Amino acid sequence: MKAFEYVSTASADIAVKALGGVDGAILAGGTDLLSRMKDYVTTPKRVVDFNPQSVVQKETSPGGVPTWTILAGTTLADLLASKALREELPALWQAASEVGTPQIKNMATIAGNLLQRPRCWYYRSGFGLLSVKDGKNLLREGDNRYASIFHTDGDALFVAPSSLAVPLIALGASATILGPKGERTVMVSSLYQIPKRDSDRELTIGADEVLTKITLPAPQGKNATYEARQKQSHDWPLVLASVSLRFDGASVSQASIVIGGVAPIPYRAVEAEKAMFGKPVTLETAEAVAANAINGVKPLSGNVYKVALTKTVVKRALLAAVGNRYWEEV
Amino acid sequence: MPSVWPENPRLIGTRITRLDGLVKATGKAKYPSDMHPEGMLFGAMLYSPHAHAKIKSIDLAPAERMPGVKAVMIVGAIKPGSTLRFQGDDIAAVAAETEEQAWDAVLAIKVEYEVLPHVVTEAQAVAPGAASVFKGTGIVNNQKKARSQTNGDPEKALGAPGVVSIEANYMAPVITHVCLEPHGLTVRFVGEDKIEAWASTQAVGVTAGDLAGAFGIPTTNVTVHTEVMGGGFGSKFGADIWGITAAHLSKKAGGRPVKMFLDRAHEHLGAGNRPSAIAHVKLGASKDGKLVSLIAETSGTGGAGSGSNFPLPYVYAVPNSSRTHTDIFVNGGNARAMRAPGHPQGCIVMEAAMDDLADKLGIDPLEFRLKNLKERDMVEDGFSKPTVDRTPMYLDEVAMGADLIGWKAKWKPRGKNGDGPIRRGLGMALHQWGGGGPATNQVACTINPDGSVEMKSATQDIGTGARTIFAIIAAEVLGLNVTDITSNIGNSTFPPGQPSGGSTTTPAMSPPAFNAAILARDELFVKVAPGLNAKPEDLTLADGQVCVKGEPKLPWKDACRKLGQQSIQVTGKSSPGLASQHGGVGGCQFAEVSVDIETGVVRVKKIVAIQDTGLIIDKMTWETQVYGGVIGGLNYGLFEERVMDPTVGIMLNPDMELYKLAGASDIPEIVVRAYETPAMKARGVIGVGEPPTVSTAAAIGNAVSNAIGVRVPHWPMSPKNVLDALASKEGKA
Repeated sequence: MKAFEYVSTASADIAVKALGGVDGAILAGGTDLLSRMKDYVTTPKRVVDFNPQSVVQKETSPGGVPTWTILAGTTLADLLASKALREELPALWQAASEVGTPQIKNMATIAGNLLQRPRCWYYRSGFGLLSVKDGKNLLREGDNRYASIFHTDGDALFVAPSSLAVPLIALGASATILGPKGERTVMVSSLYQIPKRDSDRELTIGADEVLTKITLPAPQGKNATYEARQKQSHDWPLVLASVSLRFDGASVSQASIVIGGVAPIPYRAVEAEKAMFGKPVTLETAEAVAANAINGVKPLSGNVYKVALTKTVVKRALLAAVGNRYWEEV
Repeated sequence: MPSVWPENPRLIGTRITRLDGLVKATGKAKYPSDMHPEGMLFGAMLYSPHAHAKIKSIDLAPAERMPGVKAVMIVGAIKPGSTLRFQGDDIAAVAAETEEQAWDAVLAIKVEYEVLPHVVTEAQAVAPGAASVFKGTGIVNNQKKARSQTNGDPEKALGAPGVVSIEANYMAPVITHVCLEPHGLTVRFVGEDKIEAWASTQAVGVTAGDLAGAFGIPTTNVTVHTEVMGGGFGSKFGADIWGITAAHLSKKAGGRPVKMFLDRAHEHLGAGNRPSAIAHVKLGASKDGKLVSLIAETSGTGGAGSGSNFPLPYVYAVPNSSRTHTDIFVNGGNARAMRAPGHPQGCIVMEAAMDDLADKLGIDPLEFRLKNLKERDMVEDGFSKPTVDRTPMYLDEVAMGADLIGWKAKWKPRGKNGDGPIRRGLGMALHQWGGGGPATNQVACTINPDGSVEMKSATQDIGTGARTIFAIIAAEVLGLNVTDITSNIGNSTFPPGQPSGGSTTTPAMSPPAFNAAILARDELFVKVAPGLNAKPEDLTLADGQVCVKGEPKLPWKDACRKLGQQSIQVTGKSSPGLASQHGGVGGCQFAEVSVDIETGVVRVKKIVAIQDTGLIIDKMTWETQVYGGVIGGLNYGLFEERVMDPTVGIMLNPDMELYKLAGASDIPEIVVRAYETPAMKARGVIGVGEPPTVSTAAAIGNAVSNAIGVRVPHWPMSPKNVLDALASKEGKA
């Protein structure tokens, strides 16, 4: 680890000032940044230890839709401790429950989870975000079992690592960002972009900006997340999907379906969303809708298995939302 | 008269808690990597970032000028012109005041490399025109053929009318040891010619010898301490280049101690691995299920120089067989012995083929196995005579295991395990191992006038419970409690003790421990008999009392007080009959799994492990070794895999994150049973470290195939490998 300057603050204003004009990095729970620094993948000149409050709350405004607010410093453990969140935002709760270990959940924050860098083994080995060397894309040519199956025409083949971005996007969440020019609010989906060059970032947030909170409207309907991973204990999802469904009677009137682990950004399955419209969620419709989720898929040499996995995960997320957990052993 | 184990032991064979369990579990125990002697410097290694490169130049000067740096050196025989053959190959080393300074200095060393073409996967190595890892006799295209073995006429037997056969490919990847405590030591060069080291090793004596040899000083000038150590699995038998380098750095730094432990990546890259196994197998049997022929072409890689052979045929009687094995060399770290070297690979290949053939024959794979055991399978007793027949042992063990897993009630043929998304399956596998111990070691036993008792030898505890074993044996002989005994191990200056490899520690160390305790006891009897107006042969020890003709007469401490100023100090050696020298054990394991055929995710529900290992000293430490073996095997079966990148030649998962290992919630119910009949006890002590890790991965693979109705030919049983196997089945249909 390279030596660095250190600033510690609970104030977003001070954090933004501290980030200005230097090669800085925000230290939240540290579960990602510190390992990158130890591996010399990231070598900031200044580390800004930003430790805001850990607060999850639901606010009701008279006449309007109630809003959930999750402050940036909220740990995954605190998210999981909220009974109301578990009941109303099971998609988020489930995704958070599957992250890391109890130790990691106690340290990791929602902002850190959303803004962590890719886990791609070439990126973590120092070959850059796109891992292109001498004109060859290492991930395309090499072991790509965990890589993208969508948007694979470009050079960004890593998968977006945040598990919480998937349900938050499905739930229509926004992120509030503070920068030198003041505050701005964007959809969580807008935090991510597909980098074209190695100097690009996969995150849209500026180097001198700080994510301060996440807000989302209380969902009207049902939501759920399903994750497939190899191990039961500490492991990364192979694929996960979150759905948020609104109903008109028994039929779906609006569907958000977002998939993680399949693309360099959280992947919105637009065609599946359309296919879900006007239908009840049954084993048959979920299966057919899930088949739409893989339209346009272009797997790499070693991750064809993820296509079948994606179908299953979308199907199960839809069914989980309506309480059909057909895959559980009785 | 040679000693014999007590017929009705009070302690031996019972369940006794590890004496040092609590200090290990609470973190109170100081591991070699916890040592921090005064003035200690931190060492760090510079290792090759390239799979294959020539060193054009090395400049240490920038590192020498870095803050805190006290010594910098090039390691081993490295010089400009040297070839580095794998990522992780050692180049230079630094000792500095802090760990961070040491790493910064390592990065400051200027090395100019001429990067050479590499091969890091088996496929890359054998491709036409592949770069050569090294030149050597008999090496063609990075391949060296081992001697082929042929028995009978396998081709003819396989082609005979009525013979049913399968032809299949099976593959198991390279895995690494992943010792929780990395390789290394903390070492102090004392004066001109003495060394003291705290090493994480499974052989304190070998490590002392390595250090002495490297500096041309007598072994008596070297003391190696290993009070406790955090895992070795066969990969920690000496000082290694890192330990010797650390001693040089200490000498250069004027005798300041240097701590040199590998980082996790280096541990994966350069500290050993289990070779891969690639097998093309034809196995045939008569219609009624008697094996007639095995034809196997196998290969594997043990890295840039080590071999990869494994036993095959394995366990079963195959009248006609041919086997060719080819070592494939790649630009990867070299293999080292890893818990039952060769056997897990041999077991996977043989047992997968057995299951596949049983399926084709339409025979219950359990019955098929029993039908094909050797008629007689003679292994040694405690007097090195081949009087023990392993075949009836296997029959009994399989019956025990089948009962515990519920084979009769639950087993269904492949493809008959339901039609929902979750399929249950059962699988099994048999294994074998040696596990005896040589009769060359010594244990010192001291009885002090204050009644304290010390057992002492230069062995170490790799997980066998050596301290507890010594204490049980001494307490048994001396009529004391286990906690009354102090066991001192892990010091190279103690009487010669067994290196912990090949499951030899307990069988090698129990006999001299027993004899030492008997010698000490008998000397005590001679000293105290006159005061009791008795003859020494009338005395016995029980419940902390010296008894005369069975009657308690003198409490232990009072008896010891009669020694006056003089302790009793004796050294025991081994004697025939107490332990097996070459072992020869068998065992079987059963796995129950559930497989989600829509995600490929495998969950192991239950493992049953049946094991024979002669006379068991401590049932509890015995069981915990079997648990450990099973968990290691489960990792091999479900998770572990060294992933290499073909283009840049590096390992992609040199960590404990994407190099996957079971966490607590991945551990299933594990049922462990000892096969411990009077006949087994009569064999004497046999080690149990290795055999229970052999068949777990094979049994899991067979259970998965049973569940989903198709063979998954690639280990581990990952979602990718399972889904790929299911897809290829659909593709064929």
